[in-house]
Amino acid sequence: MVSKTEESQLNRLENQVDNGGGGAWEYLCLARKLKVRRPEKALKYGLSILNDSKKRYALGPEQWTLYEQVAIAAMDCQCLDVAKDCIKVLQKKFPESKRVGRLEGMLLEATGSRAEAEKAYSSLLEDNPLDQVIHKRRVAMAKAQGNISAAIEWLNKYLEIFMADHDAWRELAEIYVSLQMYKQAAFCYEELILSQPTVPLYHLAYADVLYTLGELENLQIAKKYYASTIDLTGGKNTRALLGICLCTSAMRQLSKGRNKEDKESPELQSLAAKALEKDYEQIADDKLGLLTCALRSLKI
Amino acid sequence: MVAELKYEISQNAYIKLVLHALKHKTIAVNGILLGRVNPQNESVVEIIESVPLFHSNLALLPPLEIALIMIEEHYGSKGLGIVGYFHANERFDDAELGIVAKNIGDHICRYFPQAAVFLLDNKKLEALPKGKDQSPVMQLYIRDASKNWKLAGPDGGSRLVIKEPAANVVLSDYISSEKWQDVVDFDDHLDDIKMDWLNPELFK
Repeated sequence: MVSKTEESQLNRLENQVDNGGGGAWEYLCLARKLKVRRPEKALKYGLSILNDSKKRYALGPEQWTLYEQVAIAAMDCQCLDVAKDCIKVLQKKFPESKRVGRLEGMLLEATGSRAEAEKAYSSLLEDNPLDQVIHKRRVAMAKAQGNISAAIEWLNKYLEIFMADHDAWRELAEIYVSLQMYKQAAFCYEELILSQPTVPLYHLAYADVLYTLGELENLQIAKKYYASTIDLTGGKNTRALLGICLCTSAMRQLSKGRNKEDKESPELQSLAAKALEKDYEQIADDKLGLLTCALRSLKI
Repeated sequence: MVAELKYEISQNAYIKLVLHALKHKTIAVNGILLGRVNPQNESVVEIIESVPLFHSNLALLPPLEIALIMIEEHYGSKGLGIVGYFHANERFDDAELGIVAKNIGDHICRYFPQAAVFLLDNKKLEALPKGKDQSPVMQLYIRDASKNWKLAGPDGGSRLVIKEPAANVVLSDYISSEKWQDVVDFDDHLDDIKMDWLNPELFK
């Protein structure tokens, strides 16, 4: 999960390197730290360092991490020869290494030998049942083969052991959403909010899922979580502001036939609308008209 | 019997959607098709514009609802309506029309009964630079009389064509120059309202 500042930092470095200003190693470290997937750049910059013996030696023991990063990037770009070469180097330096064994498994995946990869992972897991990366590779393989139910099963089993893995909870939530299993997705976001209550992304996603589920009770809770997102982001989150407006409108529609007056004050919606109009006026005034129409149609 | 229609998509609308899919190669993306029934020929649906929608959590309602309101408002004033939906699956070898695409398609059909769903054809897209195929790298799905989404076959019936015959050549060109980096979708706009989902400068 990457913040806006982190993303712009990464993009800035990318531009810098592309324009000959150096900083390739800095970029690669940041990409590794943020766990972003930009294989073309990682491959290009990584190879520029590895193929230059002076630069490579200057890295010292960190060059092996770079070989690993380049191997994975190469596999992602389907440059399997590059990947094979990197893995060979690592095999020579670290024979019998489990970490290299993982890369070998990934290479089998990349060449399409999925059954072999499955065998390799299973045997690695026998020796090392708590290797998180391999567990997750198994989930990824199931997903890549379109076996979503197996992916869900493996991922649930994984989370029983590693329940603090937030990325895994998010992955599971997103898989559930893609299958329109919103209740299950909501459960995942509840786990995330419980363990990391100050991360606004989880509040927002939870609200979105509840809104999608519909029904008055869910909409009321969704509105609360849009509000907490606004709180946690200092009012800067467009999606949450729009969410407030959508909730209020949907709740009004639902309570029409029930003679139940919405006891909550309308201030929250008008505050959200004002904030949105102010933002659009300042930053995207060509779209202000569309926003105003949208807000108007939601008040009906 | 369901009417047999010709769906004619303009080059820019077509290319924009494919570039959007290429920008987000590892995830599913979707888009909205805008156009109208040809005023001179009722059996032709013209797709004149397209708006790339999302590249994350396609099955969540709030962003979709907002997007549809704004898109309809903007294009309504230009005499265009929502006439269809575009979807690109996450995986290369997944050629099935998934449930999310069908649901959104159903929703659009409520307002435009002849609405179509276009599914990105990954194999055709891969083969694009090698061949001289002028047909779109998309599959056409339309609803039959029992409201089930069916793939329009090559054996007559409804079909999808690109208005400009050289569109695939232009598309291949854009792919080589990595033009997809310039495509802005609704997700990008919601993350930063400065980003314009109308993509006004894309083809200039």
